[in-house]
Amino acid sequence: MPLSVSLSIEGDTTVIELEGELDAKTAPDFHQTIEKAAGHGTSTVEIRMAGVGYMASAGLRSLVFAQQKVGEHVTIKVVGAIEPVARTIRTAGLDRSVVLSDD
Amino acid sequence: MDEAVKTARMSAELHVPATLGALGDIAALVLRLAGSAGLGKGASYRIRLAVDELATNIVMHGYRGGDGRITVRGRSGPGRVQISIEDRAPAFDPVQGRLPPEPHTAPERRRIGGLGIHLALTSVDEFDYVRRDGRNISTLTVMAEGTDPCPPRP
Repeated sequence: MPLSVSLSIEGDTTVIELEGELDAKTAPDFHQTIEKAAGHGTSTVEIRMAGVGYMASAGLRSLVFAQQKVGEHVTIKVVGAIEPVARTIRTAGLDRSVVLSDD
Repeated sequence: MDEAVKTARMSAELHVPATLGALGDIAALVLRLAGSAGLGKGASYRIRLAVDELATNIVMHGYRGGDGRITVRGRSGPGRVQISIEDRAPAFDPVQGRLPPEPHTAPERRRIGGLGIHLALTSVDEFDYVRRDGRNISTLTVMAEGTDPCPPRP
């Protein structure tokens, strides 16, 4: 299943909305959007993942890439991830660097 | 509400080129087997994730982007799916190649390779690897939740 990625700015937050499946095949699309988001200089990058039904470790790499791209002074929020996706993020210990939020 | 889940024994075999483009076909097969076994959403997700991670690893690191084939064999019974993945890449035992996460390392210095294998191994109820006749053969089993103790936690 493909991944659709959209990017918008809401105040001081860059919003990336993902829908579909995030795996080794689709992660490059997400990476391109992260590059764009990093250029916006907002204080928060919010990644809305409620529409992501499946995420493999390639998605974890994307989140690490995102944190590296925006710098440690920018907060990365992952919003609305379904439980198996949130579990994958916790398993990798990435919930210590990105903020996992239900809404 | 008592909803009986219809289950059926099923076996299937798939031969695909070792490319990222084949991951969708592999996932479709795994999910079909999970459905026929009557696995719930959580267990279906776990077996899909585990097979996907091992297959991705074969494509990216086993054959290193070169030509190769992957064979996936699966069978399902009530509440149980077993999948084997075979390749002819250099010998690689996932248990030896597993790299646990480093949650205390800063993201910019974090090693992310190997996490896929860790995810795969912590998603299944049983795992077995053999090297036989020049082939890597990994066999993964997932059972319906509630029929066996929870899978090992990382």
